[in-house]
Amino acid sequence: MIEIRIHGRGGQGGVTLAKVIATTRFLQGDSVQAFGLYAAERAGAPIQAFCRFSAEPITRRTPITEPDHIILLDPTLASLGVTQGLKAGGWVLVNSPDTPEALAKQFPGYRVAAVDATEIARTHELGTRALPIVNTALAGAVGRMLDMPLEWVEAGLTHLGFIGPNLGAARDAYAATRLGAQPVAAPALDAPAPKLDRIPGLVTGNTGATPKVRTGNWATQRPVRHGQTPPCNDVCPAGNDVQGFLHALADKDVNRALEILLETSPLPGVCGRVCQGPCMEACNRISYDEGVNVRGLERFASDHGHIELRPPPAREEQVAVVGSGPGGLSAAYHLARLGYAVTLHEAEGQLGGLLRTGIPEYRLPDAALDRDLTRILMLGVKVQVNDRVDRARLTELTKSSDAVLVATGLQHLRPMDLGEVPPWSVVQGIDFLAQAHEGQAVVEGLRVAVVGGGNTAFDAARTAVRLGAASVDVVYRRTRAEMPAIPEEIEEALEEGVKLSCLELPVAFVPGRLTCRSMKLGANDASGRPRPVEVLGSEHDIMCDLVILALGQSPELSLFPEGARVSVSAERQPVAAPMSAPIYAVGDVATQAGTVSAAIGSGRRAAYALHERFTGERLAAAVHDPDGVIHPDRMHMHLFEHAARHGDRVQPIEARTYTEEVHMGLEDASEAARCLSCGVCNQCGRCVTYCPEGVLVLKEGQVAFDYDYCKGCGVCAAECPRGGIVMERL
Amino acid sequence: MALDIVTGNHAAGYALSRAGEANRRALGAACGIYPITPQTEIIEYVSKFPFTKGAVVPVESEHSAMGVAIGASLAGARAFTASSSNGLAYMAENIMVAGYYRCPIVMVAVNRTLGPPWNIWADQGDTLMMRDLAWLQFYCETNQEVLDTTLMAFRIAEDPRVMLPAMVIMDAFIMSHTQCETDLPDQTLVDAFLPTCDVPHRTKVEHPTTIGGLVWPLETVSQRLEVDEAMARVPEVYEEHRQRFYDLFGRDPGAAVQPYEVTGAEAVLVATESIATTAREVVKRRRARGEKVGLLKLKMFRPFPDEQLNELLAGVPKIGVLDRNYGASVGGIFGMELRAALQGRGAGALVQDYLTGIGGGDVTEAMVEEVLDDLLARTRGGRPVWKGVKS
Repeated sequence: MIEIRIHGRGGQGGVTLAKVIATTRFLQGDSVQAFGLYAAERAGAPIQAFCRFSAEPITRRTPITEPDHIILLDPTLASLGVTQGLKAGGWVLVNSPDTPEALAKQFPGYRVAAVDATEIARTHELGTRALPIVNTALAGAVGRMLDMPLEWVEAGLTHLGFIGPNLGAARDAYAATRLGAQPVAAPALDAPAPKLDRIPGLVTGNTGATPKVRTGNWATQRPVRHGQTPPCNDVCPAGNDVQGFLHALADKDVNRALEILLETSPLPGVCGRVCQGPCMEACNRISYDEGVNVRGLERFASDHGHIELRPPPAREEQVAVVGSGPGGLSAAYHLARLGYAVTLHEAEGQLGGLLRTGIPEYRLPDAALDRDLTRILMLGVKVQVNDRVDRARLTELTKSSDAVLVATGLQHLRPMDLGEVPPWSVVQGIDFLAQAHEGQAVVEGLRVAVVGGGNTAFDAARTAVRLGAASVDVVYRRTRAEMPAIPEEIEEALEEGVKLSCLELPVAFVPGRLTCRSMKLGANDASGRPRPVEVLGSEHDIMCDLVILALGQSPELSLFPEGARVSVSAERQPVAAPMSAPIYAVGDVATQAGTVSAAIGSGRRAAYALHERFTGERLAAAVHDPDGVIHPDRMHMHLFEHAARHGDRVQPIEARTYTEEVHMGLEDASEAARCLSCGVCNQCGRCVTYCPEGVLVLKEGQVAFDYDYCKGCGVCAAECPRGGIVMERL
Repeated sequence: MALDIVTGNHAAGYALSRAGEANRRALGAACGIYPITPQTEIIEYVSKFPFTKGAVVPVESEHSAMGVAIGASLAGARAFTASSSNGLAYMAENIMVAGYYRCPIVMVAVNRTLGPPWNIWADQGDTLMMRDLAWLQFYCETNQEVLDTTLMAFRIAEDPRVMLPAMVIMDAFIMSHTQCETDLPDQTLVDAFLPTCDVPHRTKVEHPTTIGGLVWPLETVSQRLEVDEAMARVPEVYEEHRQRFYDLFGRDPGAAVQPYEVTGAEAVLVATESIATTAREVVKRRRARGEKVGLLKLKMFRPFPDEQLNELLAGVPKIGVLDRNYGASVGGIFGMELRAALQGRGAGALVQDYLTGIGGGDVTEAMVEEVLDDLLARTRGGRPVWKGVKS
């Protein structure tokens, strides 16, 4: 009598394989038995099936404990002591793409046959790709291994109705089965006992209690946490943990939200008002309904949160920071948080740089800026105002400090050649805004043309409206779609009466008349925007008394030592050969990025780079999950409720003045609950609720899996709305 | 006739369906069905069978499944069902009703441990709990015997001398789910073996009657006595139909009690179902070594064949009973009944009970060897011996 024991997983067709082998021999006149070992099986659970055949009547009525051969439908079962009781000289047939020689190591002392039945089953489309049914392929392999003619196997399969692809799979496997050599050494007789749940005992001791059956080894896959970076965090130039502070706000912990923001940015009050908001453009929720109003929520956290920042233990290194715009403030703040003695050198009489003079009151009131500044100064940052640093002064600073960080921004304002004009009739936007801040700007009754399409252009245009200009035209050489200004700014400017004159290039100006040439859009330029092309002979006039130029800025490098290389890398590497102290360039002067948030990020990176230089300690400037940024396709969006966006409250047009803040922020933080926490476990507990086995728990703010009992059903991965769990093949 | 390899469940479903179909010539077939592991495949088979005349009624419980069978039987149909374990327990009230309503229903019962503890494997406690409810009980050893005995059960149950329901019994999984070669007879042969079903007391529109109304003690005694007399006629009726079966199918469906090497034996094992196969192998080996041991396979348990047992076991000094069941405090039920049957009839043999394979544990040849060694070494009987206990 030949006895074969089959080890497989529920769903692979092991019991049927036993029947196919039995039928094959039955048709040749043998007495046969085929049976399974039944318990509470599920797909994936280890199963056993048995087959006996003999020329004599079979009288054995027990499961096979000393098989002549074993078959492994799944090679991962090899670790479960499947050779228990296998007779010396017996075959181990393994469903595996590996060679018998490679597999033999796992079955010392036995002959190994191998066939990639899974691939053969897939080729013949038996079962599904995820769970191919491998039994008919293995029937062919058994025929080959036991030296049965292929016709016998075909007859057995046909008798049971397995025709078509099943016959093809058996034939392929018969041909593809590789037979290993008879090993020299005999098998170790003390093979470990199988760890299979073979008829689990149901009674323990005298208590009648049901013992635990570790069902984890039934699994063919298991869930793992798959944290991914939310797109908002990925794109934030300041490196803010956007999802983190939104989650704290959703938890109604406004102080914690502010604390998270202050980890990366000293200017949440500023960013909550004037940030371009790349996070809001990247928001995954846009693909579902509307993006989250992150800027409004950042403002809410800053205006309503209270955090006492305490200076850390002082270090002895002295750092001079030149310029107190966002780049300088950020560098000073992060250095101060690390304990360095920082002095800010500001050319004007007040801190803030362009934040104070280049952004009008109605967008960024002094009070809001001062609230952020107060937090920075609480850390012990020293300030020298009215200290304009030129090359000589910079050299001085390198002698009195251990490092100098230059964050002078973009001082050079791009001019425009409009011919001979009276000096009072053309003004730079930045200068105009500074005059307005000082109460010096006079535009009442004037027809104003603002040339440019960025935030400065619209700030100047809206300021001009507020100061009583007769008319305000924004003249831009591309179209509205290409304007770099915040879209809401443009919208609100139009509400306030600003006119857009797009595809216009000013070429000449005499007070009263601004001559423009019409433009059309050509092919994209290096910036990815369509290049404006002049239309010849299209000159015409716009009525205009005052031209305000907002054409962009560039760095003014004259204060740097001769031969200094100022580029993006200057925030990490000194710009010149060693002087008394290294000089770095921070913010726009180095990066020319032109946004507050980018300058904040640059200041932090510079502070960390300097810290590393001083101490050797490397601080992570940005935390990005190695698994990358999560795309909405990887989330289960249908599990979220639709919810309308909470926009900022805005002053009615008649109430808008230069000093009155036009945006009034959010009434409450309920908008934060709209954040989907993309790719980040926010302990929603849905996976715990839906786990049919109860093997998931929330532990220390994270979901934990009990792999001893997890059967790998995948429900948690399917139910995690934010794609934070994936199934890993075992 | 066609030899194929099928499970015990398949064999049972095959026989029930063909027997039911055979009654298309009269009032047809009927059954109520409700699933329970490990017999579900039987009712699946039956529910797929294209009966020419009759009805397969899916119901909400085993109690109702037997209710359907009782109603159908009293309407004159050939009625049958299948169940197991706790399903039988839930059906119990109507099992008794079928017996004393004298409904010739055939039920295939797959022995499964009565829970708790929750357990799906073989144990005879479920059908033995039904031993006193006026049903015939046949314990089968092979898939072929299940098929043959199911056909026999209809023939005997419907015999006017008997007119009692019959249970055909097999081990869970060891038989119910094990595929072995089995001869599957053609419908024409089944038709030839089974005449049309005639329930003499069936309800008729033209003669309305009440069945099962309240009666006095005296009528109750009569009813019990009639069942007792019917049971007493079964061994003879069984032998008659066994011969008829053999003549038609060319195969012995098996005697009610099947001795193997009992003559002159000093020690005889008594076994049922698949354990009998294992025990027979051990006995064969021991006999080859010259040991005087034998096996008595008990197939028919109700009626209890005490005459045949007394006859066959007369003069055997030591009897060991292999019970895959446990009656709380008394031990094995087969052992208990055998001891009672032999009491006072002969020289007073030693009858020792061995509890083997309780809850579906394997009964191996080695275990039976141990049992025989113990039995042969004994000078007196004692408390039941538990085998296969976790050390």
